[in-house]
Amino acid sequence: MSSLGRILLGVAFVALLLSFARWSPERFWVSVVIQMLISGLFAMSLDLLVGYAGLASLGHAAFFGVGAYAFALVAKHVSPSVAVALPGAALAAAIAALVIGVFSVRASGIFFLMLTLAFAQMLHALAFGWIPVTGGSDGLSSVPRPDVGVSGVNLFLTSNFYVFVAVVFVVGALALRAVVNSRFGLALAGVRENERRMRALGYDTTRLKLVAFVVAGTFAGIAGALQASFDQFVSPGDVFVTTSVTALVMVLVGGAGTLAGPVLGAIVVVSLRTFLADQPLVGARWETLLGALFVLTVLFARHGLIGIVRGGLSWPRSP
Amino acid sequence: MAALAVTDLARRFGGVRALDGVTLSIEPGERRAVIGPNGAGKTTLFNILSGEMRPSGGSVRLFDVDVTAEPTWRLARRGLARVYQRTELFAELTASENVELALLRSGGVWFGRRDVRITARAAELLARVGIADGRARARALSHGERRQLELAVALAAGPRVLLLDEPTAGMSPIETARITELISTLPREMTLVIVEHDMDVVFRLADRVTVLHQGRVLADGEPRAVRADARVREVYLGHEAIA
Repeated sequence: MSSLGRILLGVAFVALLLSFARWSPERFWVSVVIQMLISGLFAMSLDLLVGYAGLASLGHAAFFGVGAYAFALVAKHVSPSVAVALPGAALAAAIAALVIGVFSVRASGIFFLMLTLAFAQMLHALAFGWIPVTGGSDGLSSVPRPDVGVSGVNLFLTSNFYVFVAVVFVVGALALRAVVNSRFGLALAGVRENERRMRALGYDTTRLKLVAFVVAGTFAGIAGALQASFDQFVSPGDVFVTTSVTALVMVLVGGAGTLAGPVLGAIVVVSLRTFLADQPLVGARWETLLGALFVLTVLFARHGLIGIVRGGLSWPRSP
Repeated sequence: MAALAVTDLARRFGGVRALDGVTLSIEPGERRAVIGPNGAGKTTLFNILSGEMRPSGGSVRLFDVDVTAEPTWRLARRGLARVYQRTELFAELTASENVELALLRSGGVWFGRRDVRITARAAELLARVGIADGRARARALSHGERRQLELAVALAAGPRVLLLDEPTAGMSPIETARITELISTLPREMTLVIVEHDMDVVFRLADRVTVLHQGRVLADGEPRAVRADARVREVYLGHEAIA
């Protein structure tokens, strides 16, 4: 396809996405798609580490949670203005990622996984215990939606909030696409493929991984801020290990190493949670079905669902 | 000023002295072969020179700068590149991307787009080592092509000193002849240090030869003189057919 054709197709897709709240047949679906977009942005940010840099993190909820709490605190106590609360949340997540990253990226493989998990659980304990600030297990409620500063545009209306989330998602996705297609993105792929060789070429791979960690954490923080304002509520669950694991499942089921994959994974996971959890026969067992789907994709589709969409099934991985 | 000066270098592994006081001086533009029987310490020497292993004692100077125990990436920035004995490529990346990564390092890594000039420069280097299609993934290349790609990656960094660790290992005679020819056409100002088992290759390429034996320098000199050295014949060349 010509590049002009691709651009036109992209513009058409974005237009359809942004206007979904207008043509959606049911209002309920608007909320579902908001959740898919927020989870999709979160999963894409994690995939920068997992799929591009080859760093499997079990602590990505730390930055989602820091973004969520920071947004809630700033919006409640400082200003709900979108120009203050959203950058505030992103900055808080970036700083958390920098501090945790300095210690974590020196390790690799299982040690990186355990370190990120440990740091995230420390933050979870903090969210749980620092009651005057975080509200402890009650969390923080009455979190305002951001104020975009345009008179007559009220984000407390779901259809308006949808457009806001969709715009942040599109901008975030384009920014992440620019990152993975940049020289830096190629260098991250080099680290994933052969870190020792990258060092021999003269790359300071520790710094590359730290930058990737901070970029990923920042976008996770933005996703967390969107979640806090969508739910108008933050709780320690946003920092808990299950939030990290769910994001990892989205990345792996959808297809690591692509940006469309994690979004597809988020769509699948949110759909299962939304539509299956209500079925009387399924109920809480939807997670079992998700687990089965996860096992099947790991076994039969090494590039995830996006790999099936693009090129069919593969045989189980050989060691 | 020597391109590479090694003084009294030692490396012990437990009770084993892999290197036991090695002193070498390699001039800029020189092509030096390091030979010796298995276990002589050649690979240990290379690992220390490329910064992947710390010596137990002694020093390494690169263009008169003390670089002993500097990390690999910093040595690479000072102009030292290594072609590995085992291929060390980015398997899932294309041949072109493998070379681009080496080219981009000197231009700094940032969020700028990858531009066409870099891709064109990579294609040039690939053509020079005899790889026509840069779009093939590294893991899909034959053994010989991987070695050629290794060389292209090393050259892309524009090194002043190139360490070649058995560049013809595992190659067919035709591939060996080709890569030897290729190495011989490298710019003369580039200093080469070659570890190699194939004596034809050594005598074809090297200006000087250093013979290691049990972690020490046994002989050091022009190929003809080393070949004639009785001790060298005894420990190493005895089994080789020497014309």
